[in-house]
Amino acid sequence: MSDTPSEAPVKSILPEWVRGPQDFVGGLAMVAVALFALWASSDLQGMHGFSFGAGTAPRMFAVLLLLLGAAVALMGVLKDGPAIAAYSWRGPLFVSAAIVFFAVSIRPFGLVVSAFAAFLIAALGSHETKWVEAIIVGACLTIGCALLFPYVLGLPMPMFPRFLIQ
Amino acid sequence: MDLFANLAHGFVVAFSPINLLMCLIGALVGTLVGVLPGIGTIATVAMLLPITFGLPPVGALIMLAGIYYGAQYGGSTTSILVNIPGEATSVVTALDGHQMAKQGRAGPALAIAAIGSFFAGCVATVLIAVLGAPLTKLALAFGPAEYFSLMVLGLIFAVVLAKGSVLKAVAMIVFGLLLSMVGSDIETGASRMAFNIPELADGLGFATVAMGVFGFAEIIRNLDHGAEMDRNLVQQKITGLMPTRKDLADSTPAILRGTVLGSILGILPGGGAVIASFAAYTLEKKLAKDPKRFGRGAIEGVAAPESANNAAAQTSFIPLLTLGIPPNAVMALMVGAMTIHGIVPGPQVMQKQPDLVWGMIASMWIGNLMLIIINLPLVGIWVRLLRVPYRLMFPSIVVFCAIGIYSVNNAPVDVVLAGAFGLIGYWLIKHDFEPAPLLLGMVLGPLMEENLRRALLISRGDWSVFVSRPLSAVLLAIAAGLLVLAVLPTLRAKRDEVFVESEG
Amino acid sequence: MMSIRSLAGACLSAFAALGAFAVPASAQNYPTRTITMIVPFAAGGPTDVISRIVTAHIAQTLGQSIVIENVVGAGGTTATTRAARAANDGYTLVTGHMGTHAASVPLYPKLAYHPEKDFEPVALLAGTPILILARKDFPPKDLKEFIAYVKANAEKVNAAHAGIGSVSHASCELLNSILDIKPVGVPFNGTGPAMNALVAGQVDYMCDQIVNAVPQINAGTIKAYAVATPERNPSLPNVPTTTEAGLPAFQAQAWNAIFAPKGTSPAIIATLNAAAIKALDDENVRKRLLELGSVIPASANRTPEALATLVKNEIAKWTPVLKPAT
Repeated sequence: MSDTPSEAPVKSILPEWVRGPQDFVGGLAMVAVALFALWASSDLQGMHGFSFGAGTAPRMFAVLLLLLGAAVALMGVLKDGPAIAAYSWRGPLFVSAAIVFFAVSIRPFGLVVSAFAAFLIAALGSHETKWVEAIIVGACLTIGCALLFPYVLGLPMPMFPRFLIQ
Repeated sequence: MDLFANLAHGFVVAFSPINLLMCLIGALVGTLVGVLPGIGTIATVAMLLPITFGLPPVGALIMLAGIYYGAQYGGSTTSILVNIPGEATSVVTALDGHQMAKQGRAGPALAIAAIGSFFAGCVATVLIAVLGAPLTKLALAFGPAEYFSLMVLGLIFAVVLAKGSVLKAVAMIVFGLLLSMVGSDIETGASRMAFNIPELADGLGFATVAMGVFGFAEIIRNLDHGAEMDRNLVQQKITGLMPTRKDLADSTPAILRGTVLGSILGILPGGGAVIASFAAYTLEKKLAKDPKRFGRGAIEGVAAPESANNAAAQTSFIPLLTLGIPPNAVMALMVGAMTIHGIVPGPQVMQKQPDLVWGMIASMWIGNLMLIIINLPLVGIWVRLLRVPYRLMFPSIVVFCAIGIYSVNNAPVDVVLAGAFGLIGYWLIKHDFEPAPLLLGMVLGPLMEENLRRALLISRGDWSVFVSRPLSAVLLAIAAGLLVLAVLPTLRAKRDEVFVESEG
Repeated sequence: MMSIRSLAGACLSAFAALGAFAVPASAQNYPTRTITMIVPFAAGGPTDVISRIVTAHIAQTLGQSIVIENVVGAGGTTATTRAARAANDGYTLVTGHMGTHAASVPLYPKLAYHPEKDFEPVALLAGTPILILARKDFPPKDLKEFIAYVKANAEKVNAAHAGIGSVSHASCELLNSILDIKPVGVPFNGTGPAMNALVAGQVDYMCDQIVNAVPQINAGTIKAYAVATPERNPSLPNVPTTTEAGLPAFQAQAWNAIFAPKGTSPAIIATLNAAAIKALDDENVRKRLLELGSVIPASANRTPEALATLVKNEIAKWTPVLKPAT
């Protein structure tokens, strides 16, 4: 979507008259989402006669969000508010990487490989991680999941890498 | 009266060893499904359906029903412990439940959730047995216009549950509504904002967004520098496991009110249970002497919605048992299970299948008893889980969530989307936007739009149906009243010129 | 219990697969491992139930287990797209349906597969007849009156359906085009809510599959005007056929059939087709299918060639009806 977190400290580039940067930027982002939604739903049919078209409700909500976002941003101008909070990069990066890795690898490599690897990648997200411990726990968790999901709950999932089976 | 004979017959059926076993399996699997983030009841019931092929039909349905309401018990667990609502109905539980856990009171929160659910389950079961047939009329009295008004009311609840700025809460609801628009249009089938991604053709899944903005975002935030202190504090603070006398005294009226609300709203097909939990929370917050405690670890904020959602889970069986019409996706699967066994439920199912209907009703009571026996001792184990160092806990949650989301549709794209929503959720937290109203908007959005459109199609574009139909008018009036109550205090506060301007 | 067996199966097939590296899998000893059957609708629906009943018997005949994978979404086209892209080794099959393999062509202009070009037809399984239903206090008493009534009140009547692309939507459009009327179509999310609205009298009529309607008709909460098959259905002996009631043009059935991805070897198709025919002749399978109100195809219609013809005819039948709807 359009509002991925901005990593840079935005505060420095905001002008003086922004008294509540958190709300100001938050509101503007909502406006951006609304504009994006308006654009994305612009190809949809509107009202025809008494019945709604496919695009009526999305555009209605988008306009509403636009107004609300603008109002939130306005609050950021008129009222003193908190500064933009600091973002860290390590947690978001590795947790996202673990999720994406899992998504990409679950079909070709199966649950065992992807769950274990995702666990270790996610573990990179914290500087507290102790590797020996993480590997042991990750392995136990993987075995647990490999028994729990397909066998206890009966969810059909590939278990092992595809090239080993075919 | 027939009722006692029927119930006695039901208990005879439900107490047969095989059915007791099925009930226990259902309760256990349900608890497990509820606890595991992402894995929904729909997916599990769908997966277990084939296994019921080989079972006697009554036992099979007792088991499936057990999974359904068992998940309501389990669903609160992750909400409270790690702030991940597994089901739409436990979103509100996370608000105060997780705060309680942070204050070292996870035990009482979990226990009161189980106790409230048990009480509500018992009451609702009796209600089904005694008033099932007459209550069916309520399900039939709700047409599109009434549903639309109910959804409007539901959205107002979301405003009330906001902790901070009302304006920002409303913005989040609308953001949620907008997200719910993604997917196929119900009337024309046109693809809306799906960008030709096949996985988006049916819209964003609730589990996907909930895991993202609650689960993943919470994890990412906890990994921030400075958050470590907080977490260590939680681990040291854990106090008693069971609610104190004061907790019980505070919760009792909340449980009673939650049960009543849940029982009534549960009968309505589609969305009833979700609205019930939000409504129960809103009601408690409005009635409380000090509404500020809500969102900061008020035990009523756990007791009321948990009672409401379990009561609703039980009474949602009413349309199925009296009309033969499944009110939600899980019930539709249960109809499937009956069909596989050659029973097609209809309005005469009570007369034609007394074993099945009364056996199921009796089993619900037994199942609730089993669930509280299972869940109360589990509280100790769950709380001990909080002592696991976070460095090991968080990758495990990531993996569990990822598998859970994948299992819903076997779609890797869903997992990626949840990750993206995790980042969005992290951003929202950083900008002090609350995710709960967003989720409510997302759940209610399609229901609201579809019913609005249906109502207008049937009335040929005449908007007056919403006020000319009495039930609908009452609901809208309540909504308007609540809105005034929610906005008034804000208007009185200092920052108000801004808010008034923004309304224009 | 089942799981242990499938675990053992998985181990065995892993070993078998190791062997297969040396000798490429041939059609002669098919099947050597578990077959996956994709069902494009939720578990418990008519298509799912029919698939499960028949595949259980096929699995016995073939001596290998068949795992059913329910993949829902976009009127079944999500699952069918996945099946079209699957390996054509005979280990991934799909249950095709009136919706996924015919009505989808006009309904989804961007469909990622073509029912005829991307699949090998295997065997027709069973169909569910379509009924013309109405709320219980809808004035017309029989189909003739119904036709006259909806024509006279075309501006006033509401037709419910279970969502764009559903069987009830497609068949209702067919009926409307035959009667040359354009009632207001009220969309619902699935058969359950649509039936609820019909029972509650919020909408006037709908077309739907027989399975869920029978108990409601018997209880008198809704009424049925006709069944759109050449013969009356044993589960509703009092409901006339459309031909008897004076609307022979309206013939519709939610048929279900097995398809394999394009390029699956003819020997495998033949094996599967023989197993499917054997299943349809089995006493127990027949009994269970009939209990559902299903129609079992006659022997002549069970060959892959007959299925190919059916798909071709169905696409031709639905395309003009559904094209303007989108």
